[in-house]
Amino acid sequence: MEPADEALCERVARRDEAAFDLLVSRYQERAYRLAWSILRNAEDARDVSQEAFIRLYEVAGSFRGRSKFSTWFYRILVNLCLDHKRKHKWWKLWVRDDDDDRAETILDRQPAPVNDPVDKLSREETLKALGSAVDRLAPRQRAAVLLRVQEDMATYDIARVLKCSEATVRVHLHRALATLKKTVEKR
Amino acid sequence: MTRHPDNDLVPYLRGELPPAERERVARHLEECPDCKQDTELLRDLLGNLAHLIGQPPVVNWARYRAELSEKLEARRRQIVWWRRPMPLALSASLAGVLLFVAVWGGREMSKSGDPLGPDEVVMGQELGLLQDFRTVERLDLLEDLEVIRNLDGLASEHQG
Repeated sequence: MEPADEALCERVARRDEAAFDLLVSRYQERAYRLAWSILRNAEDARDVSQEAFIRLYEVAGSFRGRSKFSTWFYRILVNLCLDHKRKHKWWKLWVRDDDDDRAETILDRQPAPVNDPVDKLSREETLKALGSAVDRLAPRQRAAVLLRVQEDMATYDIARVLKCSEATVRVHLHRALATLKKTVEKR
Repeated sequence: MTRHPDNDLVPYLRGELPPAERERVARHLEECPDCKQDTELLRDLLGNLAHLIGQPPVVNWARYRAELSEKLEARRRQIVWWRRPMPLALSASLAGVLLFVAVWGGREMSKSGDPLGPDEVVMGQELGLLQDFRTVERLDLLEDLEVIRNLDGLASEHQG
């Protein structure tokens, strides 16, 4: 039987390298994907997710098991992403704002091509606008939306990751989705 | 009609609300066409967002793990450096010097500092006596000496 994440984390606190390797292999894809969704840059996402694993190694002893391991780890990761965004905000003013990955991904990843060229164009434009609107959301709103739609997390868990109340998460989600809804309605 | 349950719509769609709240939102949606329409739009939006956000560029996981190992090793070396005897001894010495300066400096300051209490300073400032406080203090002492000198006379007067 596979050991639980929480048990592995306890072993990491005792500097068990095998347990650390196992946790990394379980979470590396999810951590990288979530970091990329927030940061929208592959290199930054790789660096920040790796830093999250290093922090995990360093502070595994402080995991008390009061929440699920995944919630605790996502909190480390999301905090690092939000810090990264804050620190690099000024820099973005001086370099081009559209990141290397974003422009090509929004359209390229869309499923279900439509036959009518006018409909197709309209749909693509809407999706493109929605993609830009997601990127423009406030960092915590975006994190809340991503944790919901990508990680399928419950409001309670999102609140623990973002270290805020459930009511605040509901407000974040409502405002984020209201912004996106407006984008759709304008089209 | 109750207030619009804007913030509750997402938890409602995910089935997270406790039964009473769920019932309240469901009742509201039956009565409020705007909220009902919003809910449908939100449902579509949440469903499409996962596709819209999409997948990040492909990563070479072997390289990712190798980089992670290198970074972790570098961090360990950094920590170990701090634990070596030489930096530790230097840090301890520096801390000792700082402590000595803080304690000794503080004592020197208290010796040379003004012995007046805050109340006396305020009172002195109000009375304009602070500049001549030493003189006033000595006058007080002279007055005390005068009283002591006349104690015998006072005693005999009292007996008489």
